[in-house]
Amino acid sequence: MVDTIKALGFEYICANPGSSFRGLHESVINYGGNEKPELLTCMHEESAVAMAHGYFKIEGKPLAVMAHGTVGLQHASMALYNAWCDRVPVYLVLGNTLDATLRAPGVEWVHSVQDAAAMVRDYTKWDDTPMSLPHFAESAVRAYKIAMTPPYGPVVIVADSELQEHPIAEHHGALRVPQLTLAAPPQADSGAVAEAARLLVAADSPLLIADRLARTPAGLARLIELAELLQAAVISTQPNSLPPIAAGRMNFPNRHPLNQTLRSVAAIADADLIAGLEIANFYGATHIFRDQLERTSRPATKAGVKLITITAGDLSLRANYQDFQRYVEADIAMAADGETTLPALIEAVRRLITPERRRAFDARGATLADASRATFERARTDAAYAWDASPISTARFAAEVWQQIRGEDWSLVNGNLSGWPLRLWNFDKHHQYIGVSGGSGIGYGMPASIGAALANRKHGRLSVNIQNDGDMMYAPGVLWTAAHHKIPILTVVHNNRSYHEETMHLQRMGNRRNRGVDRAHIGNEIDNPAIDYAKLAQAMGWHAEGPIANPSDLGPSLARAIAAVKRGQPALVDVITQPR
Amino acid sequence: MIKTLLIIGVVCATVLSGTVLRGPALSGTILRAQSQTQPAPAGSVEKGRLGFVRVGCAQCHGREAQGSPTTGPRLGPNGLPYSAFARYVREPRLQMPPYTEKILPDMELADLYAFVQSRPKAATPPALLSSQPAKQN
Repeated sequence: MVDTIKALGFEYICANPGSSFRGLHESVINYGGNEKPELLTCMHEESAVAMAHGYFKIEGKPLAVMAHGTVGLQHASMALYNAWCDRVPVYLVLGNTLDATLRAPGVEWVHSVQDAAAMVRDYTKWDDTPMSLPHFAESAVRAYKIAMTPPYGPVVIVADSELQEHPIAEHHGALRVPQLTLAAPPQADSGAVAEAARLLVAADSPLLIADRLARTPAGLARLIELAELLQAAVISTQPNSLPPIAAGRMNFPNRHPLNQTLRSVAAIADADLIAGLEIANFYGATHIFRDQLERTSRPATKAGVKLITITAGDLSLRANYQDFQRYVEADIAMAADGETTLPALIEAVRRLITPERRRAFDARGATLADASRATFERARTDAAYAWDASPISTARFAAEVWQQIRGEDWSLVNGNLSGWPLRLWNFDKHHQYIGVSGGSGIGYGMPASIGAALANRKHGRLSVNIQNDGDMMYAPGVLWTAAHHKIPILTVVHNNRSYHEETMHLQRMGNRRNRGVDRAHIGNEIDNPAIDYAKLAQAMGWHAEGPIANPSDLGPSLARAIAAVKRGQPALVDVITQPR
Repeated sequence: MIKTLLIIGVVCATVLSGTVLRGPALSGTILRAQSQTQPAPAGSVEKGRLGFVRVGCAQCHGREAQGSPTTGPRLGPNGLPYSAFARYVREPRLQMPPYTEKILPDMELADLYAFVQSRPKAATPPALLSSQPAKQN
């Protein structure tokens, strides 16, 4: 088993220790020498999977995770759902004892299950329960291949305790690890690509909306090439987050003149053709939903707009969990990987451009550049309001962090800070932003950012986590994991002392029922006592400062924290903020 | 009562559970509202400051009414007439929860308006918000 895991190239394997995989655990650290993979000690299975989630989005390679097939998987399941929704491969190996006659009495029975992967089969891409070591090797390699074929997704291999612990039987003969050959990602049909190119070139106001498009840095470069070729408007955002926060991936430089993300409502309304590139929620991007007593939805687009979709998401629909969003009435729909399809689309577009269209494109590009410049200038002015307020405004918070990191090779590994980084920072590299949780399952931020920081460590990058306070408290034991394994990361707590989004939901309900909002904090506030996040982090080996409520204190505190990070230590600054 | 058509640039957005909702705000889409010539009732800035937090305005718009890109726009200072302000609070067109007179009496609404209008304009953007290009890695 360890030979197979090593052959697949895992650098790390995350686990909270468990008896059902004790055989594999011992083999990893002794037979395997605890190198490639190195075992990372986690304090919760949800943290282990979320670390793998964040690691992949920086490194482009999955991490392995070991867990109990029962209690461990139940802990891990929320993080697996996030990874599924975010189209991220996580490689999960579960311990189990299938043969009831061999189970030890007591705990081993309650830690055994007939079909361990069943409870997460709705939101994993593939699983298997191998019955022999050759079977394990083949399924382990197959699982890796499936996880790494777009659309990516988590996979599960159940490692039976008998297979883990028994000596290798002679009848197996010479064991071998099958060759791994990753599948080429699916590219769209050439006819559909040609028709999409024809519509894009003919459109007066084409708009490209990208969500989880750029799986790799190449995806970012290709979207720039297509946009510049067409001088088309680009929105790179979570399509269900308008006004925008940020996309599921770093698809397009935020300050590129064609980037219209900050004026997305106008850009969508102006468009006569919208190409959705790996959008999870295209319907949401093209409609305005109103959550009042009567919920309504109306088009955000003008009549006659043409819609094109390119998404591998069409290849991974499941019935039970509804992450596929509302049906899109597209004019062209390509069930294919967006990043892989872009080169063919770019070439098809290039062939169709005439000098006359080129002149029109150039004029369009100049108009878009003016609009983009104006929106950034407005954002700069808006950020100056409440500049000296305490609690600290989210704009000041973002500006202070940017001031400290702008000269570094930085990577925002979690957090959106009410969209201010998108307005005040300069994102132009793929690793500078890795998107969100996918399933909006709280508890993702801290462990995923530490996983991403683990990947950034060998590249010498400064990982920055803007950490919501409520999210942080799901499994704060991951702080210890970061300190123990010397994973440098700057975590700045966006501490509004509440589950604030839910506070807004309660306001909506209270007013809708004409009862007012005075009590909306009940059940949502995280106060009385206020949590001292700095002490929490210090207790687990971090450099930590705060709470900081005076905006003038924030810059020096961040500078000290970054100095600690540069020494290889994780560091936290707790910032008392305005609600949003 | 003289009624005129007011065009107010308004966009408000509320982010709830991963679903972004477009709602009331003071910078973006177009709201048509009735303007009245009568002056705003005299409100108390200090009472408005407390009320702004108590009735939840600050949750989306910030304690200084400075606004947030994802939840609610900056509310003040601006030239929005009281009548348009009140109309929107009572009958928001987009995502903002409606405030009836029962949960927000007219006098408290006037206090809120006074508070919002008393907010200072932003000074010249501080040096940290320089528009100079960031240092490249």
